[in-house]
Amino acid sequence: MKIEQLNNAKIPIVRINKRLEQFKGKVLFKEKLEQANKTLAKVGLPDLPKK
Amino acid sequence: MNYSRYEYETEEELFFYEFTSEGPKGNIKKLVEYSKTSVENVYNLAFGDYDEEKGGIDDKSITNNGDSQKVLATVASTVYAFTGKYPDAYIYAAGSTNVRIRLYRMGLTNNLTEISEDFFVFGLKDEKWEMFIVGEDYDAFLVTRKNRKFEL
Repeated sequence: MKIEQLNNAKIPIVRINKRLEQFKGKVLFKEKLEQANKTLAKVGLPDLPKK
Repeated sequence: MNYSRYEYETEEELFFYEFTSEGPKGNIKKLVEYSKTSVENVYNLAFGDYDEEKGGIDDKSITNNGDSQKVLATVASTVYAFTGKYPDAYIYAAGSTNVRIRLYRMGLTNNLTEISEDFFVFGLKDEKWEMFIVGEDYDAFLVTRKNRKFEL
């Protein structure tokens, strides 16, 4: 794919690589996930603006 | 996105993405991960340099490959892909260092007009979420699709 096509596509064209299946079920950024869980437990989620 | 971005590859569930940063420091593999948090439908977004030989990730590295805008635009693009498959998802992102947090903020600021068309964007300040304001300092960011019916 040409980069121009890629740049013009807001919705990206996704290419699958089976090699990345090796990460399935793993957490690569454990510290960040733990920190995210701590923060989310404390602050929860924001209310979405009403339409 | 306003910036050019790298082509990337992913796996079928769209939780992991890989692309290669190209610059004066050479070709550096980057890995983006979306992981489930303890809150339903909320996913933690993280990315860093991937050392294929060691099989390890470094999310604190400052690569200085001269392409941070392009790298951020690529990561932002994965948000479109991921939420295309999981339209109800909230994406949480916090930088591992202050430099990283500034980098995230810069990426959101530079692309806010376009991102805001499709996403609600929140910043975490003093342990409270607020709608993202350009120029404000935040500890973390949260985005979720406005149009949840969208699918890839």
